[in-house]
Amino acid sequence: MSAEPLTYEAAVARLEEIIARLDSNQAGLRETLDLCREGKGLIEFAAAELEAVGQGLEELRLDELIERLDGAGPRAEPVAR
Amino acid sequence: MGGLAPSPTLQSESPAGIDGFPGPYAVGRYAIALRDRLRGLARVCLVGELSGVRLGNGPNVYFELRDGDGGVPCAMWRTDFDRLTLAAGALRDGAEMVVAGGCDYYPGSSTASPRFTFRVSDMRPAGEGDLLARLERLRHNLAGEGLFERQKRLRVALLPRVLGVVTAEGSAACRDFLAALERRGWRGSIVWGYAPVQDRRAAPRIAAAVRDLAGVAQVETIVVTRGGGSIADLWAFCDETLCRTIALLPVPVISAVGHEVDRTLIDDVSAVCCSTPTHAAEVAVGVDCTAARIGASRAAGRLEALGRTAVLSRARALGAHSRAPRAALAGHRRRLHQHSRELRAATRRGVADRAAFQQRVGGTVLGRKLEAARGGVVGERGALRARTSRLELAGEALAARREQALLAHAAGLRASDPDRTLERGFALVLDASGEPLETADAVRAAERFDLQLAGGRVGARVSER
Repeated sequence: MSAEPLTYEAAVARLEEIIARLDSNQAGLRETLDLCREGKGLIEFAAAELEAVGQGLEELRLDELIERLDGAGPRAEPVAR
Repeated sequence: MGGLAPSPTLQSESPAGIDGFPGPYAVGRYAIALRDRLRGLARVCLVGELSGVRLGNGPNVYFELRDGDGGVPCAMWRTDFDRLTLAAGALRDGAEMVVAGGCDYYPGSSTASPRFTFRVSDMRPAGEGDLLARLERLRHNLAGEGLFERQKRLRVALLPRVLGVVTAEGSAACRDFLAALERRGWRGSIVWGYAPVQDRRAAPRIAAAVRDLAGVAQVETIVVTRGGGSIADLWAFCDETLCRTIALLPVPVISAVGHEVDRTLIDDVSAVCCSTPTHAAEVAVGVDCTAARIGASRAAGRLEALGRTAVLSRARALGAHSRAPRAALAGHRRRLHQHSRELRAATRRGVADRAAFQQRVGGTVLGRKLEAARGGVVGERGALRARTSRLELAGEALAARREQALLAHAAGLRASDPDRTLERGFALVLDASGEPLETADAVRAAERFDLQLAGGRVGARVSER
């Protein structure tokens, strides 16, 4: 894998590659186990990403956000929901 | 206006002119010359507001075209007017129109007033066409600068955590967008950059909102959306400054302005152009989160199964290898047994076959012999019958011959029969026991004797010695 930070789509694409490789029945035992380990890691990552956008819709107003960012507040507070 | 001077009047009594001016000329002929001259002027397009529209029933439609600086009276042949495909009510006072035509002059007559007119041969509403023309020019310029390509090169995140959205607060587009995100199971963060989306102030406010959203580091994708409308309503989204701002942003912008048929300039510069707010939500969050969660769980199960299968299948193969020698021996033994069984069976079968064969052969031969014997018996029987009949014949013949011989012997016998001799007068001397006494001594010795004569015995006695 490259040094680029992992994204959800890259994780899913790599996972599809892994499953296709395993499905082809051409991977050796060592490779299979390595791929399984990598695939599990990717699934954990993808699930965490999905979890991160599944905590509940948070809506912010841009103008208020800018005000807060301009002020001392280190992070924006949700204004609705 | 020397070119307009008609030929001198033919009137015999021409009134005196005025010093410094040619003429006097007859006005009617001057009017015709004026008409011809005006008709020779270049034909052009004019733009202005309509006023004094008179459709009437006559051969002409009349109106004036004006703007703040002035106007011209216009006339259009009804046949030309009817060929236009103007919307109903388009030809009304105050409408902005572009007309095409050229100058004309009606010289009038003794009863009709002369009249200058701009003879219109074609026209269309000015606003829309102008906007579209300007839009096309702008589109052409921006495309020429390569501004349509810059956003297209940006990657739109499939599963963003934070979305920036520019739209009118509380609009239908806003609600549609949120509803579509809900359906996809996305529960990330939205930063709303509310801005007016229709009037003259809209474009700069939209541009500012987009710029500010791009300035928030967490915002991964910006969506600009509003519902449908006329090209004039959507004009803010064709603003050059707004489009240039978006084109140069480092954050991908998804545009969903108007409906499918409405194509604004922002659609050309943005990274992705969508037909509706719902469509924009589906592109902004490319993953159907609910389905993806199920998919991830399935993939995990699949990986687990594939890993287990890989290990198990090899373990099985290994086990099979370890059992191979014994299995091979067992296999050989099985084959040997099999061969011996087959051999036995084959032998039995062979013997039985031979027996059956011999029986078959024997049966056939015996049958044949029996047949032959039967044939022989029949022949023999025939021959026997023939022999029997021959024998019978021969027997009969023999009997006949014997009968004859017997007769002959009987005749012969009779000839030597003593009875025949007795019949001829001879007598037979018999002793007491009936034995013949052949000599005279025998008779003397016997003293008593019997004489066998034809017709009976007679006792006698020797009387002389």
